[in-house]
Amino acid sequence: MPQTNLPHPEERPGGARREGRTARSPVIGLTRMFLAFLWLGCTSFGGGTAGWLYREMVLKRRWLDEATFLSDFALGQAIPGSNGVKLTVQIGQRLRGAAGAVTALVGLLAGPFAIVLAVGAAYAGFGENRILQQMLDGVAAAVIGLTFATGLNSMTQSRPGLTGAILAAATVLGVGVLRWPMLPVVAVLAPLGIALALVEPRRR
Amino acid sequence: MSEGSGGALIALGLVFAPLSLLSFGGGNAVIADIAQQSIAVHHWTSEREFADLFALSRAAPGPGSMLATLIGWKVAGVSGALIATTAFYLPSALLVFGAARLWGRWRCSVWHEAIERGLAPIAAGLFLSGGIVVLHASPAGWPVWAAAIVTTAALLRWPSLHPVPLLLAGAALFGLVAVL
Repeated sequence: MPQTNLPHPEERPGGARREGRTARSPVIGLTRMFLAFLWLGCTSFGGGTAGWLYREMVLKRRWLDEATFLSDFALGQAIPGSNGVKLTVQIGQRLRGAAGAVTALVGLLAGPFAIVLAVGAAYAGFGENRILQQMLDGVAAAVIGLTFATGLNSMTQSRPGLTGAILAAATVLGVGVLRWPMLPVVAVLAPLGIALALVEPRRR
Repeated sequence: MSEGSGGALIALGLVFAPLSLLSFGGGNAVIADIAQQSIAVHHWTSEREFADLFALSRAAPGPGSMLATLIGWKVAGVSGALIATTAFYLPSALLVFGAARLWGRWRCSVWHEAIERGLAPIAAGLFLSGGIVVLHASPAGWPVWAAAIVTTAALLRWPSLHPVPLLLAGAALFGLVAVL
């Protein structure tokens, strides 16, 4: 099991857990939020924005805890759309309501929008280039590593123990290995996970 | 690139807004549909151009792919890019916003707690699955697997490591191999 030096949620600064944002000490300013999401948008190369959000908002800034992040992510699966965009709206909404959601979303998309147009304009000059494509493969590999690390990290942090590991493994088997469609897999496993969480004694 | 006539802008909105509402499991779910619409139905791009735009959208930072943005730009310049991006992201953002508000009212109930704890491992599993599926799709084979595993191990060992140097290292290493 990977060891991380992440402190237990209860030991964190300002770490009121599930009590919600009313218990959170300083309110995060909209400008600060905008800049955080702008930075994230501009640096989250290679897709997998959810992994980048986890790293930045949960691990680094601690604006929300793992359980909240992961449940937002999972609930978001019932709603269509890019996972990064959905999570951004959810996080913005949690932190500062409607204004927060708009700020976070505009912040996230503004940078990539400008960059992708600049890249598009430059593309006529490059065309296809084998070395460039190889370099993109290298970037892709690192991004996949980020995705794996996020999944493994969050698995061990959010719900330690055998039940969590089995549920996660079943999800990987169904969606990742057997390539079953995601919706039915989640529709079966989600009620199971929730039922087990209801009967299981709380650990904390 | 013709600067956006009204008709082209409306067509972009009509293609990307419904796709926004069909992209269950993330933006990647509808890439095949975007290709079909852009190439065969609306003739916005040739197959070759679509493949290039797709690769470019992968190289740029940001959520999922900015593929919609690039196609909008190709069709109708900056206004096309704006319309396509808004159409592709706004409907799902509004949906999730409404759901998040409802969810917030439920706070503190036993169910809320059980749902959060029950769904967390499944979300973790979905993360891992996403990585596996992309690995399988990669044409580069075992070097990508190896590099992905090394990156995973590094990030687990040193969680505070910033990923950007890792991405640059990946690009440099693969680029170097291609040159040699």
